[in-house]
Amino acid sequence: MTDDLEPLRQSRPDRVLPDDPPDPEVLVREKARLMTAITGAAAVHRRSPSLYPRLAYRDEVAALAFLTRAFGLVERRESRMEHPGGMLAWLEIGDGVLMIGRAGEEHHGLLSPLDAGAPTGMVNVYVHDIDAHHRRAESAGARIVMPLEDMFWGDRRYEALDLEGHRWHFAERLSEIRARSGS
Amino acid sequence: MQVSDGAVIADSLERPSAFGVIFDRHGSTLLRFLARRVDPSGAEDLLGEVFRIAFERRSTFQRDRDSARPWLYGIAANVVAKHYRSEARRLRAIARVSAERALDDDPAERAVAAADASARWTRVVTALGTLPAAERQVLLLFAWEELSYDEIALALGVPVGTVRSRLSRGRARLTELTTDPDATSKLHFTPCNSGR
Repeated sequence: MTDDLEPLRQSRPDRVLPDDPPDPEVLVREKARLMTAITGAAAVHRRSPSLYPRLAYRDEVAALAFLTRAFGLVERRESRMEHPGGMLAWLEIGDGVLMIGRAGEEHHGLLSPLDAGAPTGMVNVYVHDIDAHHRRAESAGARIVMPLEDMFWGDRRYEALDLEGHRWHFAERLSEIRARSGS
Repeated sequence: MQVSDGAVIADSLERPSAFGVIFDRHGSTLLRFLARRVDPSGAEDLLGEVFRIAFERRSTFQRDRDSARPWLYGIAANVVAKHYRSEARRLRAIARVSAERALDDDPAERAVAAADASARWTRVVTALGTLPAAERQVLLLFAWEELSYDEIALALGVPVGTVRSRLSRGRARLTELTTDPDATSKLHFTPCNSGR
């Protein structure tokens, strides 16, 4: 009964051409325009940085929940792409952007540290109030692999592993901490 | 359990900015729909138009509905219908790409089968443009967007029986046009000019 429609199904443009997800920047921009039209407030243009890494997870949905809860990343919800083969999400922290997706041969051949046996990179993030960030991560179940301490190069930092073992380095400049506490 | 679209939209009557959640949930789906149906560069502008229309009409949305997606598809389908020149260009471009695709990467023994399939897609897409607009709309919501009969009925604001009859007429016509190899040379694009 569905056979006669098969050629039509197959002719869908994104099946004829490789499935490029719609540009997440377009969604960010159009959402900003819509909110300006709705609220009358001036649009805030959040430009993506030139460099934005992508991390792979076996369970990218769980990873998204963990990264927002434990590490305080904020999802650009309007950019989320849901496919039967996995989800793509864009997360922001400060002026940085991170993309996450599913691990696997068919997903750019990227591995989760669970598959690779070890992380092969580290994501470095400067945050506001590193002590509060550390408390939040620890209580959300992040594995702290380097303790929070002041370093000679002028950072206060700690390192943690996320759900699947990607390694994260969180820091704040000591000079900013001093300025904040007024000492 | 997430709050239903109906509840979000009801909330947005008092608090307009709440409507942003509807964009978050459905913006990428609607962008993909529009990019299939009109020039990809035009799709971006139409996405904004769809959501602005939806926002203005949000008081008509039935608040007991879980998903706003069929309703948004309906608005988007009407917006596509208004841009029929862009739609016709898009169909011609897809037909062209379908015709070229088989030539790229096929070892010899598969090439013949692939060329057949590709010629068939090209005919299908070309024939699609000549169907009555209302039938094309239903066929594509069904075959490309994978909406159910009920969702298509909601989207287009017509009874489910009408969806069924348009779909069966559309597919019969499509089969007829694509099995007669001479038929496509006589085909002319029919603009979507039927409103809901």
